[in-house]
Amino acid sequence: MPALRNKDCNYISNKEIKITFDGKSYSAYEGDTIASALLRNNIRLIGRSFKYHRPRGIYTCGIEEPNALVQILNEHNEPNTRATVKKAYDGINISSQNRWPSLSFDIGSINNILSPIFSAGFYYKTFMGPKGFWKKIYEPLIRRTAGLGKPPKNFRSKSIHQNHNVDILIVGGGLSGLIAAKKLIDTDNEVLLVEQDSFLGGILKNSNKVKQIDGKNVFEWVKETEKLILKSKNIKILKNTLVTTYNFTNHLIALEDKYSGKKIDVSKSELTLHKIRTTHTILANGHIERFISFRNNDLPGVMLASSFEKYIERYGVTPDEKPVIFTNNSSTVSLVKSLINLNCKPSAYIDARKQEDIEDETKEYLSKNNILFYPDSEVEGCEGNKKVEKVYIRNSSNKISSINATMLCPSGGFNPDIHLFTQSKGLVKWDDKIISFKPDTAFQNTITLGSVSGNYEFKNLCKEINKKLSFLKVDDLNLEIETNIRDNLSIKELWETKTNKKSKWSKSFIDLHNDVTTKDLKQAINEGYDRIEHLKRYTTNSMGTDQGKISSINSLGIVSKILNKKIEEVGTTTYRPPYAPLSFAAIAGRSTYEYYDPERKTPIHNWHIKNNAVFEDVGQWKRPWYFKKNETETMHQAVQRESKQTRKSAGILDGSTLGKIEIKGKDALEFMNLMYTNAFTKMKPMTSRYALMLGEDGMIMDDGIICKINDKHFIATTTSGGAPKVFAHMEEFLQTEWPHLQVYLNSITEQFTTFNISGPKAREIVSKVFSDIDFGNEKFPFMTFKTFNYKNTQARIMRASFTGELGYEIYISPQHALELWELIFKYGKDFDLVPYGTETMHLLRAEKGYVVIGQETDGTVTPIDINFNWMIGKKKKDFIGKRSLTRSDTAREDRKQLVGIVPLDKSQFIEEGQHIVECENLPSKIKTPIEYLGHISSSYHSPNLNHCISMAMIKSGNKLMGKKLFVSTSKGTKNIPVEIVSPVFIDPENKRLTS
Amino acid sequence: MILINCPYCGEREQSEFTNGGEAHVIRPKDPDTLNDKDWGQYVFYRSNPKGIFYERWVHSHGCRKWFNAVRDTSTDTILKIYKLTDNKPDISEFQSSLKSPSGEPAVGSGNFAVKK
Repeated sequence: MPALRNKDCNYISNKEIKITFDGKSYSAYEGDTIASALLRNNIRLIGRSFKYHRPRGIYTCGIEEPNALVQILNEHNEPNTRATVKKAYDGINISSQNRWPSLSFDIGSINNILSPIFSAGFYYKTFMGPKGFWKKIYEPLIRRTAGLGKPPKNFRSKSIHQNHNVDILIVGGGLSGLIAAKKLIDTDNEVLLVEQDSFLGGILKNSNKVKQIDGKNVFEWVKETEKLILKSKNIKILKNTLVTTYNFTNHLIALEDKYSGKKIDVSKSELTLHKIRTTHTILANGHIERFISFRNNDLPGVMLASSFEKYIERYGVTPDEKPVIFTNNSSTVSLVKSLINLNCKPSAYIDARKQEDIEDETKEYLSKNNILFYPDSEVEGCEGNKKVEKVYIRNSSNKISSINATMLCPSGGFNPDIHLFTQSKGLVKWDDKIISFKPDTAFQNTITLGSVSGNYEFKNLCKEINKKLSFLKVDDLNLEIETNIRDNLSIKELWETKTNKKSKWSKSFIDLHNDVTTKDLKQAINEGYDRIEHLKRYTTNSMGTDQGKISSINSLGIVSKILNKKIEEVGTTTYRPPYAPLSFAAIAGRSTYEYYDPERKTPIHNWHIKNNAVFEDVGQWKRPWYFKKNETETMHQAVQRESKQTRKSAGILDGSTLGKIEIKGKDALEFMNLMYTNAFTKMKPMTSRYALMLGEDGMIMDDGIICKINDKHFIATTTSGGAPKVFAHMEEFLQTEWPHLQVYLNSITEQFTTFNISGPKAREIVSKVFSDIDFGNEKFPFMTFKTFNYKNTQARIMRASFTGELGYEIYISPQHALELWELIFKYGKDFDLVPYGTETMHLLRAEKGYVVIGQETDGTVTPIDINFNWMIGKKKKDFIGKRSLTRSDTAREDRKQLVGIVPLDKSQFIEEGQHIVECENLPSKIKTPIEYLGHISSSYHSPNLNHCISMAMIKSGNKLMGKKLFVSTSKGTKNIPVEIVSPVFIDPENKRLTS
Repeated sequence: MILINCPYCGEREQSEFTNGGEAHVIRPKDPDTLNDKDWGQYVFYRSNPKGIFYERWVHSHGCRKWFNAVRDTSTDTILKIYKLTDNKPDISEFQSSLKSPSGEPAVGSGNFAVKK
């Protein structure tokens, strides 16, 4: 079927395109939205509704659309796209949503008959019981049916962010926005004009309400004005850009669709998120027409009157030649004129206002054109099979008659689009003249112009704009605006018509998107939800993706009538950003996948990959977790092998990720004494010490080894993840509490690559690698270090260990790191040297009873709790956290303390995180709480002891040595019998470390 | 997102900064002389007013300097920024600028129209 083209239209090109809807191909024109393209092909049924699966069509012609949501199958398979906004292009493939098996026959529509179940608050009422139903039946069911379209798979969007700093932002390029921009041409203000559509002009192009401006045809005037703006040196225009968010401090977010009306080029960014900072914001974002509730006001074929007019004027398509018009105001006469211009004629014109309130011109125009006129009447409802077929009219004497028609165009008046104004925290007030809320007091530098400010009169527009922009000291602009309609909106309050219930299928909707009926509102109030914020959540009214743009004020109207209050007393719900759905892809910008967070790799990283390392994320670092010897080796096997071999011969760990901080300056010693628990004063130069850092609350924050070069120079190591935190902590105290200390801090984490070699053969290996250094126990005792020159770079070797074996830590410049690592392996081969990862590191330290900050500790553990009393410099006058260690709660004896745990039956394995209890079995049904004594913080199978070893934090642990207790398991109610032991399982005398 | 005028670098986006909580909480000179209650007060207790608040910020993704700010917590307006070495500005400097968004009641928040 050829596409309809009813009228010469300046905004649609003659170029024909092909679109596909639900598998069928149709013709349309370039510039069409999906909605106008479908209307051009006489398609009215577009989708099924959210809850009742009722047939739905196109209701509006813009961003306010509640019904016509479609899935775009090409591109990213984008669901819930508004057909009235998304531009069609050649080859676009569209499908309808929320129907099965097909759009015209949908099984889900049975919900409509079951509708008593789905009334207000049904989520709260229906899913209450019986027990177990939620998990097995309700949740899977809701998950399957919730939402409309299907989410895209393998989605990878590209979008970018752009920042703007301007003096004035104009939101909306309609008549008011253009007049404001024209006034600002070539002034000193930097101006950004943002328009959501692909063209400027707004109402000038969407209706035939304005005839001429300054004697020029509106199309010419817009073209001329746009040219002037583009020529100006200070105004920039962004089209296809929607302002979604108005934040504090005049910070606004706008989303630009760069591929509006074009097929997306997947190699380029398709969306730009504009972050705009401005001194003044001019809101000229217009108004939105609202609907009226009547019986079956959701049938395909019901379309708002001004939207109908927009399809004619803007897209050159006439959705219907003989629609019925139903209004409560004077604006709809322009639609009649548009139709008459096309030699079409409305089937009837129904005006809810009294005969004497209706303008004489309107009455004359209707009678001149012989149009069926019903003053003081209402639409009672409409009926038909998946489309409007019959319209029922209740006249002034309460008689109902019907006429045949296929479309019905209601107009319930206009709401100033106050969404952005209220987001900016501006106050609104009720205006009885336009029967709507309008902006009152601005909270920021916000100016509203034209219909968004509640001014619907064209002849006053220039005066209003001149007055409101006079503070900018720009010249007045007076335009002669000639209109086709009476300028003042005379409107009668009407939210819902009186209806006669005819069948269960009959419904009068207040929210088309979420399927909320006017009956639901009444029911919610009866059930006590009479506050508008409660009522909204209870009924889900205005909570759809359209946010009730055409209906939310109507619901206030209906509620105010039921409560017998004024609408301004009922109040509005809070308007929150975004104004319209904003894609997460746009917010994320470039921060996705591998760009989301930086990955840090050590200089040895590629060697690890070559040697089959499996990596673990530690903060931003990639660390080898374990090394796979062959394809079939499991993690458990690898870790057991690495651990065993390290204790037998030697192992090497890439410890480059450890944080390293250099502390220098006259007062470095005093500073270190304040930051760490240990006493550094008597410590000899060129020695090192394990140290603890506490928070002011006395809890362990971080640990590390401190190397003292002299009293004015220290190097501290931190945990891999803790480095930024420790560095910031030191900086904070230096700046805020002790600015008198002369200390300089320097992060040198990346300046030194670190290897830890440990095991009985470690000395032999390093002696071969660094042949001129004496590694003998006397010359190089435990916890000392040496600095030396390595290929003209400074290197450092420290004798320290985190495994309990003889160990050396090598600090080397990254540029020589890999060659040294390979050299160590060259010599290490003869000694059976094995590379090991973080899992083996954890296992080996657990065998030795060393704690890991963040595993044994959790921010509630003091040094005393883990038997580190010896690390506290008690003679020091002060250090961070010292005073807290003697607080009554911190000094309690029944705090959780660190112990070791082994199972009595050595074949059993204890799981990390399990609870330690006194009972052998857990009851199958727990009625009273079972006393919890503590938890397992670390647990491993020790290859060197050949049974499970665990560390635990347990109440009064130190007093429980040798006691038999039980540990729960994740399998069943039978607990594992265990014994409390010392947490040091290997070499308690430290012989291996120190010899 | 608000803009913060770092006294060392100039105006930058909030995302470059980290908030450091209440300002002018001085670490006791001699902690051992304090009883548990007074020490606990220093470690754990901070005020959280609606309205004028003296707080600390650090330009963590910039010069890494700490400084103080006076912020109206009900509107997020920063009323004054000053260096650590500057004197604490008197509250009388700011009292008059207190203005809640949407004119909501001074205590609590919510829908003004309903509250009435």
